[in-house]
Amino acid sequence: MAATKDFAGTGESTIIGPSILINGKLSGDEDLTVRGRVEGELSLTKTLIVEPSGIVKANVQVRNAIISGVVVGNISATESVELTREGRMVGDINSPRVIIVDGASFRGRVDMGNAEPRPASERPAQRTSPVSRPMVRPAAVVAPVRAPVSVAPSRQPTMVARPPMGKPQPPAAPVIASKGDRETSKPAPPPPPQPVLVGEAGKKKVLLKKKK
Amino acid sequence: MANTVIGSSITIDGEISGDEDLVIQGTVKGKISLKESLFVEASASVEADIEVQNVEITGKVTGNIAATDKVELKADCRVVGDVRAPRILIADGASFKGNVDMDVKER
Repeated sequence: MAATKDFAGTGESTIIGPSILINGKLSGDEDLTVRGRVEGELSLTKTLIVEPSGIVKANVQVRNAIISGVVVGNISATESVELTREGRMVGDINSPRVIIVDGASFRGRVDMGNAEPRPASERPAQRTSPVSRPMVRPAAVVAPVRAPVSVAPSRQPTMVARPPMGKPQPPAAPVIASKGDRETSKPAPPPPPQPVLVGEAGKKKVLLKKKK
Repeated sequence: MANTVIGSSITIDGEISGDEDLVIQGTVKGKISLKESLFVEASASVEADIEVQNVEITGKVTGNIAATDKVELKADCRVVGDVRAPRILIADGASFKGNVDMDVKER
Protein backbone atom coordinates (compact mmCIF):
# COMPACT_ATOMS: atom_id res chain seq x y z
CA MET A 1 0.00 0.00 0.00
CA ALA A 2 2.78 2.38 0.91
CA ALA A 3 4.38 1.89 -2.43
CA THR A 4 1.11 2.61 -4.16
CA LYS A 5 0.61 5.83 -2.28
CA ASP A 6 4.09 7.05 -3.03
CA PHE A 7 3.61 6.30 -6.63
CA ALA A 8 0.36 8.14 -6.80
CA GLY A 9 1.66 11.08 -4.82
CA THR A 10 4.93 11.73 -6.57
CA GLY A 11 3.98 10.43 -9.96
CA GLU A 12 1.76 13.27 -11.01
CA SER A 13 1.98 11.99 -14.49
CA THR A 14 0.25 9.50 -16.66
CA ILE A 15 1.97 7.50 -19.32
CA ILE A 16 0.33 5.79 -22.23
CA GLY A 17 2.81 3.15 -23.34
CA PRO A 18 3.81 2.52 -26.93
CA SER A 19 1.57 -0.49 -27.51
CA ILE A 20 -1.50 1.01 -25.87
CA LEU A 21 -4.51 2.25 -27.77
CA ILE A 22 -7.11 4.36 -26.04
CA ASN A 23 -10.25 5.09 -27.93
CA GLY A 24 -12.73 7.47 -26.36
CA LYS A 25 -12.68 10.36 -23.95
CA LEU A 26 -9.73 11.07 -21.76
CA SER A 27 -9.68 13.83 -19.19
CA GLY A 28 -7.62 14.68 -16.16
CA ASP A 29 -5.73 17.10 -13.98
CA GLU A 30 -2.20 15.90 -14.44
CA ASP A 31 0.51 15.65 -17.02
CA LEU A 32 -0.02 13.04 -19.68
CA THR A 33 2.69 11.45 -21.76
CA VAL A 34 1.59 9.61 -24.86
CA ARG A 35 3.88 7.02 -26.37
CA GLY A 36 1.06 4.99 -27.85
CA ARG A 37 -2.19 5.99 -29.46
CA VAL A 38 -5.05 8.08 -28.20
CA GLU A 39 -8.14 8.61 -30.30
CA GLY A 40 -11.24 10.60 -29.52
CA GLU A 41 -11.21 13.49 -27.11
CA LEU A 42 -8.51 14.58 -24.75
CA SER A 43 -8.78 17.29 -22.12
CA LEU A 44 -6.30 18.06 -19.41
CA THR A 45 -5.70 20.93 -17.04
CA LYS A 46 -1.97 20.36 -17.35
CA THR A 47 0.55 19.37 -19.96
CA LEU A 48 0.19 16.91 -22.78
CA ILE A 49 3.42 15.43 -24.07
CA VAL A 50 3.27 13.46 -27.26
CA GLU A 51 6.51 11.57 -27.62
CA PRO A 52 7.99 10.56 -30.97
CA SER A 53 6.25 7.19 -30.86
CA GLY A 54 2.98 8.75 -29.81
CA ILE A 55 -0.03 9.27 -32.03
CA VAL A 56 -2.98 11.39 -31.03
CA LYS A 57 -6.02 11.56 -33.23
CA ALA A 58 -8.24 13.69 -31.12
CA ASN A 59 -9.57 17.08 -30.32
CA VAL A 60 -7.30 18.24 -27.57
CA GLN A 61 -7.90 20.77 -24.82
CA VAL A 62 -4.96 21.32 -22.51
CA ARG A 63 -2.91 23.96 -20.79
CA ASN A 64 0.34 23.12 -22.54
CA ALA A 65 1.10 20.73 -25.34
CA ILE A 66 4.53 19.54 -26.40
CA ILE A 67 4.38 17.54 -29.56
CA SER A 68 7.21 15.35 -30.74
CA GLY A 69 4.98 12.71 -32.25
CA VAL A 70 1.94 12.87 -34.46
CA VAL A 71 -1.24 14.79 -33.79
CA VAL A 72 -4.23 14.80 -36.06
CA GLY A 73 -6.95 17.04 -34.75
CA ASN A 74 -7.41 20.45 -33.24
CA ILE A 75 -5.54 21.62 -30.21
CA SER A 76 -6.73 24.39 -28.00
CA ALA A 77 -4.32 25.30 -25.25
CA THR A 78 -4.71 27.94 -22.56
CA GLU A 79 -0.98 28.55 -22.41
CA SER A 80 1.17 27.14 -25.15
CA VAL A 81 1.60 24.64 -27.93
CA GLU A 82 5.04 23.55 -29.00
CA LEU A 83 5.83 21.52 -32.07
CA THR A 84 9.30 20.13 -31.70
CA ARG A 85 11.68 19.05 -34.41
CA GLU A 86 10.10 15.63 -34.59
CA GLY A 87 6.55 16.84 -34.26
CA ARG A 88 4.04 16.39 -37.01
CA MET A 89 0.59 17.82 -36.85
CA VAL A 90 -2.47 18.32 -39.00
CA GLY A 91 -5.18 20.45 -37.49
CA ASP A 92 -5.83 23.86 -36.01
CA ILE A 93 -4.02 25.36 -33.07
CA ASN A 94 -5.69 27.84 -30.78
CA SER A 95 -3.32 29.11 -28.15
CA PRO A 96 -1.79 32.39 -26.96
CA ARG A 97 1.69 30.99 -27.47
CA VAL A 98 2.54 28.78 -30.39
CA ILE A 99 6.05 27.54 -30.98
CA ILE A 100 6.96 25.71 -34.14
CA VAL A 101 10.53 24.61 -34.33
CA ASP A 102 12.59 24.09 -37.45
CA GLY A 103 12.03 20.55 -38.65
CA ALA A 104 8.47 20.29 -37.41
CA SER A 105 5.76 19.63 -39.92
CA PHE A 106 2.40 21.30 -39.57
CA ARG A 107 -0.67 21.87 -41.65
CA GLY A 108 -3.57 23.85 -40.29
CA ARG A 109 -4.54 27.17 -38.84
CA VAL A 110 -2.98 29.01 -35.99
CA ASP A 111 -4.95 31.40 -33.85
CA MET A 112 -3.16 33.24 -31.09
CA GLY A 113 -6.28 35.23 -30.42
CA ASN A 114 -4.82 38.76 -30.08
CA ALA A 115 -4.72 40.25 -33.56
CA GLU A 116 -8.19 41.80 -33.64
CA PRO A 117 -8.22 44.89 -31.37
CA ARG A 118 -6.13 47.24 -33.56
CA PRO A 119 -7.95 46.82 -36.86
CA ALA A 120 -11.29 47.22 -35.12
CA SER A 121 -10.37 50.67 -33.78
CA GLU A 122 -9.08 51.85 -37.13
CA ARG A 123 -12.08 50.85 -39.13
CA PRO A 124 -14.72 52.89 -37.30
CA ALA A 125 -12.88 56.15 -37.94
CA GLN A 126 -12.72 55.50 -41.65
CA ARG A 127 -16.34 54.56 -41.87
CA THR A 128 -17.66 57.75 -40.28
CA SER A 129 -16.30 60.05 -42.93
CA PRO A 130 -17.68 58.13 -45.93
CA VAL A 131 -21.13 58.07 -44.37
CA SER A 132 -21.46 61.84 -44.42
CA ARG A 133 -20.37 62.12 -48.03
CA PRO A 134 -23.18 60.15 -49.63
CA MET A 135 -25.68 62.77 -48.48
CA VAL A 136 -23.91 65.50 -50.41
CA ARG A 137 -23.21 63.51 -53.53
CA PRO A 138 -26.80 62.77 -54.61
CA ALA A 139 -27.49 66.43 -54.90
CA ALA A 140 -24.42 66.96 -56.98
CA VAL A 141 -25.50 64.24 -59.37
CA VAL A 142 -28.84 65.89 -60.01
CA ALA A 143 -27.33 69.27 -60.58
CA PRO A 144 -23.60 69.20 -60.93
CA VAL A 145 -23.42 72.93 -61.27
CA ARG A 146 -24.80 73.42 -57.81
CA ALA A 147 -22.38 71.31 -55.96
CA PRO A 148 -20.49 74.39 -54.89
CA VAL A 149 -23.71 76.19 -54.03
CA SER A 150 -24.92 73.41 -51.80
CA VAL A 151 -22.33 74.48 -49.32
CA ALA A 152 -24.79 77.08 -48.08
CA PRO A 153 -27.80 75.13 -46.82
CA SER A 154 -29.88 78.15 -45.73
CA ARG A 155 -30.45 79.33 -49.27
CA GLN A 156 -31.55 76.00 -50.64
CA PRO A 157 -34.66 75.67 -48.48
CA THR A 158 -36.07 78.93 -49.69
CA MET A 159 -36.11 77.75 -53.24
CA VAL A 160 -37.70 74.48 -52.34
CA ALA A 161 -41.04 76.05 -51.75
CA ARG A 162 -41.37 77.39 -55.23
CA PRO A 163 -39.43 75.58 -57.79
CA PRO A 164 -41.83 76.34 -60.65
CA MET A 165 -42.78 79.78 -59.46
CA GLY A 166 -39.31 80.55 -58.35
CA LYS A 167 -38.64 84.03 -59.48
CA PRO A 168 -36.70 86.87 -58.01
CA GLN A 169 -37.16 87.00 -54.32
CA PRO A 170 -34.98 88.67 -51.82
CA PRO A 171 -32.62 86.06 -50.38
CA ALA A 172 -33.16 87.11 -46.78
CA ALA A 173 -36.97 87.02 -46.88
CA PRO A 174 -37.22 83.58 -48.47
CA VAL A 175 -35.28 82.07 -45.66
CA ILE A 176 -37.88 83.05 -43.11
CA ALA A 177 -40.81 82.09 -45.27
CA SER A 178 -39.25 78.88 -46.34
CA LYS A 179 -40.55 76.93 -43.36
CA GLY A 180 -44.12 77.88 -44.00
CA ASP A 181 -43.74 77.25 -47.67
CA ARG A 182 -42.44 73.80 -47.13
CA GLU A 183 -45.38 72.80 -45.04
CA THR A 184 -47.88 74.04 -47.55
CA SER A 185 -46.03 72.69 -50.53
CA LYS A 186 -47.60 69.40 -51.63
CA PRO A 187 -44.49 67.59 -52.82
CA ALA A 188 -42.49 68.68 -49.81
CA PRO A 189 -40.65 65.52 -48.76
CA PRO A 190 -40.36 65.22 -45.00
CA PRO A 191 -37.00 63.45 -44.75
CA PRO A 192 -33.93 65.65 -44.56
CA PRO A 193 -32.13 64.20 -47.56
CA GLN A 194 -34.93 65.01 -49.96
CA PRO A 195 -35.04 68.69 -49.14
CA VAL A 196 -31.53 68.86 -50.41
CA LEU A 197 -32.63 67.49 -53.74
CA VAL A 198 -35.48 69.92 -54.02
CA GLY A 199 -33.18 72.65 -53.02
CA GLU A 200 -31.03 71.80 -55.96
CA ALA A 201 -33.80 72.54 -58.35
CA GLY A 202 -34.36 75.76 -56.53
CA LYS A 203 -30.70 76.40 -56.44
CA LYS A 204 -30.48 76.68 -60.17
CA LYS A 205 -32.90 79.49 -60.02
CA VAL A 206 -31.21 80.88 -57.02
CA LEU A 207 -27.97 80.96 -58.84
CA LEU A 208 -29.60 82.96 -61.55
CA LYS A 209 -30.94 85.33 -59.02
CA LYS A 210 -27.60 85.70 -57.40
CA LYS A 211 -25.99 86.36 -60.68
CA LYS A 212 -28.51 89.02 -61.39
CA MET B 1 7.66 -2.50 -14.69
CA ALA B 2 4.62 -1.35 -16.42
CA ASN B 3 5.05 1.18 -19.17
CA THR B 4 1.61 2.60 -19.02
CA VAL B 5 0.14 4.38 -16.07
CA ILE B 6 -3.25 6.01 -15.91
CA GLY B 7 -2.79 8.56 -13.14
CA SER B 8 -5.18 9.15 -10.30
CA SER B 9 -6.74 12.31 -11.71
CA ILE B 10 -7.28 10.86 -15.16
CA THR B 11 -10.65 9.81 -16.46
CA ILE B 12 -10.98 7.70 -19.56
CA ASP B 13 -14.29 6.94 -21.15
CA GLY B 14 -13.79 4.49 -23.96
CA GLU B 15 -11.66 1.58 -24.96
CA ILE B 16 -8.14 0.75 -23.95
CA SER B 17 -6.22 -1.95 -25.69
CA GLY B 18 -2.61 -2.93 -25.94
CA ASP B 19 0.20 -5.40 -25.56
CA GLU B 20 1.83 -4.20 -22.38
CA ASP B 21 1.23 -3.90 -18.68
CA LEU B 22 -1.20 -1.26 -17.59
CA VAL B 23 -1.49 0.39 -14.21
CA ILE B 24 -4.69 2.22 -13.41
CA GLN B 25 -4.83 4.71 -10.59
CA GLY B 26 -7.63 6.83 -12.02
CA THR B 27 -11.04 6.23 -13.50
CA VAL B 28 -11.74 4.14 -16.55
CA LYS B 29 -15.11 3.40 -18.08
CA GLY B 30 -15.68 1.26 -21.10
CA LYS B 31 -13.54 -1.66 -22.07
CA ILE B 32 -10.02 -2.81 -21.37
CA SER B 33 -8.29 -5.50 -23.36
CA LEU B 34 -4.63 -6.32 -22.89
CA LYS B 35 -2.33 -9.17 -23.71
CA GLU B 36 -0.40 -8.54 -20.52
CA SER B 37 -1.15 -7.64 -16.93
CA LEU B 38 -3.51 -5.11 -15.55
CA PHE B 39 -3.05 -3.51 -12.13
CA VAL B 40 -6.00 -1.72 -10.64
CA GLU B 41 -4.57 0.23 -7.74
CA ALA B 42 -6.30 1.36 -4.58
CA SER B 43 -7.18 4.83 -5.87
CA ALA B 44 -8.62 3.45 -9.08
CA SER B 45 -12.20 3.08 -10.10
CA VAL B 46 -12.96 0.95 -13.11
CA GLU B 47 -16.32 0.39 -14.72
CA ALA B 48 -15.41 -1.78 -17.61
CA ASP B 49 -15.35 -5.19 -19.12
CA ILE B 50 -11.84 -6.47 -18.77
CA GLU B 51 -10.02 -8.98 -20.94
CA VAL B 52 -6.42 -9.54 -19.97
CA GLN B 53 -3.84 -12.16 -19.21
CA ASN B 54 -3.42 -11.27 -15.54
CA VAL B 55 -5.20 -8.81 -13.38
CA GLU B 56 -4.42 -7.64 -9.88
CA ILE B 57 -7.10 -5.59 -8.21
CA THR B 58 -6.68 -3.44 -5.14
CA GLY B 59 -9.21 -0.81 -6.08
CA LYS B 60 -12.78 -0.78 -7.32
CA VAL B 61 -13.96 -2.68 -10.34
CA THR B 62 -17.45 -2.99 -11.72
CA GLY B 63 -17.74 -5.20 -14.75
CA ASN B 64 -16.95 -8.63 -16.03
CA ILE B 65 -13.40 -9.83 -15.85
CA ALA B 66 -11.94 -12.48 -18.11
CA ALA B 67 -8.31 -13.44 -17.73
CA THR B 68 -6.37 -16.02 -19.67
CA ASP B 69 -4.11 -16.66 -16.73
CA LYS B 70 -4.98 -15.24 -13.35
CA VAL B 71 -7.26 -12.88 -11.46
CA GLU B 72 -6.15 -11.69 -8.06
CA LEU B 73 -8.50 -9.83 -5.76
CA LYS B 74 -6.40 -8.23 -3.07
CA ALA B 75 -7.43 -7.11 0.35
CA ASP B 76 -9.50 -3.91 0.33
CA CYS B 77 -10.59 -4.34 -3.26
CA ARG B 78 -14.22 -4.06 -4.23
CA VAL B 79 -15.31 -6.02 -7.21
CA VAL B 80 -18.77 -6.44 -8.68
CA GLY B 81 -19.10 -8.64 -11.75
CA ASP B 82 -18.38 -12.06 -13.09
CA VAL B 83 -14.87 -13.37 -13.00
CA ARG B 84 -13.60 -15.98 -15.36
CA ALA B 85 -10.07 -17.30 -15.29
CA PRO B 86 -8.19 -20.57 -14.77
CA ARG B 87 -6.71 -19.17 -11.56
CA ILE B 88 -8.61 -16.92 -9.25
CA LEU B 89 -7.29 -15.70 -5.91
CA ILE B 90 -9.41 -13.86 -3.41
CA ALA B 91 -7.53 -12.46 -0.46
CA ASP B 92 -8.84 -12.01 3.03
CA GLY B 93 -10.51 -8.60 3.25
CA ALA B 94 -11.51 -8.46 -0.38
CA SER B 95 -15.09 -7.60 -1.19
CA PHE B 96 -16.57 -9.37 -4.15
CA LYS B 97 -19.97 -9.97 -5.63
CA GLY B 98 -20.50 -12.01 -8.76
CA ASN B 99 -19.95 -15.35 -10.37
CA VAL B 100 -16.69 -17.14 -10.46
CA ASP B 101 -15.78 -19.47 -13.27
CA MET B 102 -12.48 -21.30 -13.20
CA ASP B 103 -13.52 -23.88 -15.71
CA VAL B 104 -11.85 -22.17 -18.62
CA LYS B 105 -10.55 -24.31 -21.42
CA GLU B 106 -6.85 -23.96 -21.92
CA ARG B 107 -5.89 -22.08 -25.01
